[in-house]
Amino acid sequence: MPLEPSHPRHPSVRPTRGACAAVVLTLACSGGPARAADGRVSFVNDVVPVLTRAGCNMGSCHAKAGGGQKGFQLSLFGFEPAEDYEHLVLEGRGRRLHFGNPDQSLLLLKASGQVPHAGGLRLPKSSPGYAVVRDWIGQGARGDGATAPKLVGLEVEPKHGLLKRQARQQLKAVARYSDGGVRDVTGTAVFESNDKAMAEVSEGGLVAVLDLPGKVSIMVRYQGRVAVFNAAVPLGAPVGELPPVRNFIDAAVFANLKDLGIPPSPVCDDATFLRRVTLDVAGRLPTDAEAKAFLADAGADKRDRWVEELLRSPDYADFFAGKWTALLKNRRDDASDTVSNFAFHAWVRDSLLANKPYDQFVRELLAATGTIVGNPPVAWYKRVREPKDQIEDVAQLFLGVRIQCAQCHHHPFERWSQDDYYALAAFFGQVGRKPSDTRGEDLIYHKRGVATATNIRTKAALRPAALGDAVPAIAPDEDPRLRLADWMRAPANPFFAKALVNRYWKHFFQRGLIEPEDDIRDTNPPSNPELLAALEKDFVASGYDLKGLVRVIVRSNAYQLSATPNAFNAGDRQNYSRYYPRRLSAEVLLDAIDQLSGTQTDFPNLPPGTRAVALPDNSYNRSSAFLRVFGRPEGESVCECERVQSSNLAQSLHLLNSPDVRGKLAHPTGRAERLAKDARPAEARVKELYLVAFARDPRPDELRAALGYLAEPRATAAGRPVDPQHAAREGYQDLIWALMTSKEFLFNH
Amino acid sequence: MAIIARHLRRAAAAWVVLLGGAAAAPAQSVGLPAPRLLTTMPMGGKAGTTVEVAVTGEHLDEAGDLFFSDPRITAKRKLDATGAPVADRYAVTIAPDCPVGLYEARVTTRLGVSSARAFAVGALAEVVVTRPNRTLAAAMELPLNSVCNGAVADRAIDYFVFQARKGQRVVVDCAARGIDSKLNATVVVGDAAGRDLLVERRGGVIDFAVPADGRYTIKLHELTFKGGPAFYYRLGVWEQPAGTPIVRQPSTRAVNSFSWPPVGLPPQAPLAEVEPNNDGPRAQRVTLPCDVSGRFFPAADVDVYEFEAKKGEEWWVEVASERLGLPTDPAVLVQRVVKGEKGAPDTLTDVLELADIPSPVKVSSNGYAYDGPPYNAGTSDVLGKLVVKDDGLYRLQLTDLFGGTRSVPGNSYRLVIRRAAPDFALVAWPLHMELRNGDRNALSKPIALRGGATMALEVVALRRDGFDGDIELAMDGLPPGVTAHGLKIPAGKSRGMMLVTARPDAARGYANAAFVGRATVAGRPVTRPCRLATVAWPVPDSWGEIPSPRLLADVPVSVSGTDLAPLTITAKSPVVEATAGEKLTVPLVHRRTSEFTGDKIQMKAVGAGFETSPAFDLPVQADKSEVVLDLKALNVPPGEYRVSFLGGGVVKYRHQPEVVAKVEATSEKMLAEVKSLEAEAKRAADEAQRAPPEKKEQMTRALTAVTARMKAATDALTATRQQLTRAKDAARPRDIADIIVCEPFTIRVRPVEKK
Repeated sequence: MPLEPSHPRHPSVRPTRGACAAVVLTLACSGGPARAADGRVSFVNDVVPVLTRAGCNMGSCHAKAGGGQKGFQLSLFGFEPAEDYEHLVLEGRGRRLHFGNPDQSLLLLKASGQVPHAGGLRLPKSSPGYAVVRDWIGQGARGDGATAPKLVGLEVEPKHGLLKRQARQQLKAVARYSDGGVRDVTGTAVFESNDKAMAEVSEGGLVAVLDLPGKVSIMVRYQGRVAVFNAAVPLGAPVGELPPVRNFIDAAVFANLKDLGIPPSPVCDDATFLRRVTLDVAGRLPTDAEAKAFLADAGADKRDRWVEELLRSPDYADFFAGKWTALLKNRRDDASDTVSNFAFHAWVRDSLLANKPYDQFVRELLAATGTIVGNPPVAWYKRVREPKDQIEDVAQLFLGVRIQCAQCHHHPFERWSQDDYYALAAFFGQVGRKPSDTRGEDLIYHKRGVATATNIRTKAALRPAALGDAVPAIAPDEDPRLRLADWMRAPANPFFAKALVNRYWKHFFQRGLIEPEDDIRDTNPPSNPELLAALEKDFVASGYDLKGLVRVIVRSNAYQLSATPNAFNAGDRQNYSRYYPRRLSAEVLLDAIDQLSGTQTDFPNLPPGTRAVALPDNSYNRSSAFLRVFGRPEGESVCECERVQSSNLAQSLHLLNSPDVRGKLAHPTGRAERLAKDARPAEARVKELYLVAFARDPRPDELRAALGYLAEPRATAAGRPVDPQHAAREGYQDLIWALMTSKEFLFNH
Repeated sequence: MAIIARHLRRAAAAWVVLLGGAAAAPAQSVGLPAPRLLTTMPMGGKAGTTVEVAVTGEHLDEAGDLFFSDPRITAKRKLDATGAPVADRYAVTIAPDCPVGLYEARVTTRLGVSSARAFAVGALAEVVVTRPNRTLAAAMELPLNSVCNGAVADRAIDYFVFQARKGQRVVVDCAARGIDSKLNATVVVGDAAGRDLLVERRGGVIDFAVPADGRYTIKLHELTFKGGPAFYYRLGVWEQPAGTPIVRQPSTRAVNSFSWPPVGLPPQAPLAEVEPNNDGPRAQRVTLPCDVSGRFFPAADVDVYEFEAKKGEEWWVEVASERLGLPTDPAVLVQRVVKGEKGAPDTLTDVLELADIPSPVKVSSNGYAYDGPPYNAGTSDVLGKLVVKDDGLYRLQLTDLFGGTRSVPGNSYRLVIRRAAPDFALVAWPLHMELRNGDRNALSKPIALRGGATMALEVVALRRDGFDGDIELAMDGLPPGVTAHGLKIPAGKSRGMMLVTARPDAARGYANAAFVGRATVAGRPVTRPCRLATVAWPVPDSWGEIPSPRLLADVPVSVSGTDLAPLTITAKSPVVEATAGEKLTVPLVHRRTSEFTGDKIQMKAVGAGFETSPAFDLPVQADKSEVVLDLKALNVPPGEYRVSFLGGGVVKYRHQPEVVAKVEATSEKMLAEVKSLEAEAKRAADEAQRAPPEKKEQMTRALTAVTARMKAATDALTATRQQLTRAKDAARPRDIADIIVCEPFTIRVRPVEKK
């Protein structure tokens, strides 16, 4: 299977493909490289770093795939100095360099802005980088690819730091070479903060800590090598009595808070817990009956019992199936996708319902064979057809590794080479396809043969290897994908369990221990490494038990902390000193509105009463403006970030004045209508509304306000009194609408 | 990209519509009306009982008897209180000795015998869904050990509840696709509150270990929530003794199973697989020939057999698994083993790799245009020859290419390694051709002939173990007035044709024919049955619905007796003689009973020796024509050849025009009666008005009576007039594309006379 050498994704703005794009944003115009002791300028070790630092060889500039810019091509980030030398010195009849008068070299004239340059000013004439290039040309533009000492290591000094808020710290980047040489490359290295809200870093490596407490890392990148500086920024507030430690999660979270001096909020009340956990585990509001029963339950273990109830329910499977199928790209592009999408969604959902171990789930997906109806995970191969897409999705989704960059060049932030990329692709090299009866669908099988994939640059045929781990020879009869699955499920695998627990942690805590959750690398360390390691260990030991993972998370007091900040932790966004509220996702919110208004949303060709969280694919976004406006994903990406969780004006307008929401409020069989006709005292009816919306009773002031509003006399536009039945209906519609548009309703908190 | 592709597809579809509109009259359909039995409710019954069955279908005009492929199932028309037959309802009696299984149900109609519908005979109590059960509250109570007949509605879920005790083993088995239903069933067993416990969506069975005494629910729906009468099911729920194997409800057989088993193979293999045999060191020793049953279990199972073979031996290796109805894809690898000396590893040399048995004829791709039959006579099973080049030890490794991650204990196989036993197996289906893009309607038509019609069946042979000879095709036991001529499958080829012709004057009739192929194998005459295949539903749009073919149990042939073929083409003489190398002129006689659109039909010759003859235009409006065949160009050697011509034409078809006159006459008669009653009523009214007081009441009663009769007669007239409108509408000429087949004739090619 030929692998396209093009680099179509760099221009993409999607964060899923953002690793390369992020680099592009880091511009640098000057820097002072250290020169070799003999005064001779090295192309590999002096000139190329200057070009890199100046941004000449970025993906959007002269390293752009397919010819660079204006016929001048450089390798991305200077990873291929020999090629760069060729382009710079020999190509174009040597017109880019002027040996007699280096300052008149086209290269320098353009970079210094002396002649028009679409890329702007890159190397001011006064900059040290300019001098390096000028001297190199003056010395005869020597190519030293074969002789120059190789860069063998990059270190940052210091490696760790305990920094106060508003503190500053100068970093030093040190390069080590194969000849034993050491250079300070701070001037040419690139620095980048992993959390710009916590700390910024200057081009020269000066770290400026801002106001937020927590952990922050600065990545230093130099010629394909990376190093990282980890800083802890304590708040230093007095941490009094901590909530009881219920499991290892609490131990790790509270220890971290203690270290950083961030006092946590207290454990939340029962109503908050019930609503929060039901939304997070089952994707729905508790019913008023459930809320009433839970609040009345005096049992000490009632929270744990409720968690068990939720995990047993099909709602859990429906909710998490929606999450997984979007990530696994269960998209409907054509009516002929319908059966396969339903089958695939159902397979995911039923697997979750049966609590199929996660390793087995992934194995069935990766190594699927047969027909879609007979073995629905085969549908993944319909959606993700090319081996390169397969490994990229698998790596990002199941291993938390964004390996896309390594298709065309060495990964800029990571240790992944092109060989690593293609060796991973080789696992998918023997996927055979036969046409099926259904248009657009193939039967998938293992095609006997020795699996290989060809590195597009070196043309070497590579045998399967899993991210640096050699895999024993795979016989032609054996499906290499099963070996990949074996490798993943091995307890010592450093990626598989970590990626999942981090992903699930983020589901419940709004922020991954590593952020983004699918970009796990040495240069992006977790905010609480001990916790991540403990979760990983527990998950592996449980036999990859997904329900077990959910259970251990939501039973912890760390999960059950109140969302209300105390005097110290309002600014904490990273250390879980309180629950971080989050807007309900599109489907959950729509179901919640239906539940509160006592209506159903009608989805095309599905049984009445089908909940939005149970929708099998993205196609329903077309018919539901609500789902679109509130950011339900289209299944285009393996990144959770495709789901838009931010708020916008359209959402507010939709809630305030859309026919959709108005229709629900005024529905002839809706809750407002029913309550208006209900014979119970108004107080009981208002209590019902609060139980449904917030899983709690109204506070006295709320009750007073609501009853007062309901009792207000109503008049028509002409000033005539409205009949009591009509007035009651309007009153309850207004009340429901007011609850529905409140933050307490729209957010999980 | 996907969006562009979608637009292009839409644009292409628009073109097809436009072209279709330009070339033919509006609303052209494909295939003349054929009687099709589409549903029976219920879809089966218990042996030893009588069950009332309602039928629906297409073109079941003047439906008469309902009958079955086994004489132990009989049916009578249901009669109403007055003794008149109730439309579409039958009392079906299943003899106590009728074995559990599937049978074909058919109805006799004005157009002949209908297509078949599977009818199940079971051993459990039968129930039928009689009221909507689409919510948990309205769930239907299902007794254990029963089979429930129902159909899911569109966007609906059918709910059932059953009682079970802790420790019971309850099997929930839904028959649907296997009994011709369109339902891809999703079956969910839930707790009393309807919360899901176990789900089955791939046509499998639910084996439910009851966790506690109580009520349990079953939810049943289509995978994508489609529904309607065609989405019917038989939901079986029974208690299964612990430790016993589950026997599922019977299912129809896939087309490719026609080639299994080979003649003479014992029902049970004498040898069984012994695990572990997953690799060379643990290979299971066998001696050839051998016949082993085994299974692909657990996931990624590898079964290795080891045997000695001698140089020059030839062995045929056949594996059946997909043809047993399983979702498997067996693959065989044979390697020669040279044992390593002094602890060195064995050396393995690949000798033979076998995977699928390809279809002998090109199978339809899943494209829109018709490019071959959707019937796949090939299979993912294995059949091939092992030629032994050296004495020694050999290892045969058997795997399931679809089994990498699936652990299904029931995925079994049968492995046979035998000396050559040359043979063949045959399967046939109604011939189809491109008549309109995407339309596969004709595939599901029964062999129900109009007078003067010739119907073509495509016949395909799977040749076994090197058999390479001619296969002559024959159909015997036909109804009076019907003849059948086989166009043989020539040596080395896989495709032939059977042409079944009804004389124009053939009376209404039906017979279960014997359809066979005859060949000489190793000097001995061999006769093998030819199985008939069909598609369960008419498919007017192959992109909207994928045809689902299956084998039929028998070969019914029937004649309408009233309807005539729109065009009968016969050779003027049944035998045409010519000398090799000459041009031969075949005079044809046309007999039209319908108008046709256009003035010519492109026809093509079929029959060994003449298939490469160029297509020609038949002047469809003329009463006769001539076809010239160039024997020199065709290079036909002397001999006797059976030949026919076929092509697609557009008939201006009028459905039952004779009914119009009949209903018109009835209508006139009724009008006269109404008029007479009107007069009578007027008289009665006058008399009642004039009647003396003592007779007033009597006269008024008389007036009421006659008014009632008048009203009844008026209602009847209205109904008859509506019937007339319908009949006139049906009799209005409609453009229908269909296959036109010339009655086969013989060409006798004489050798060139030597001077």
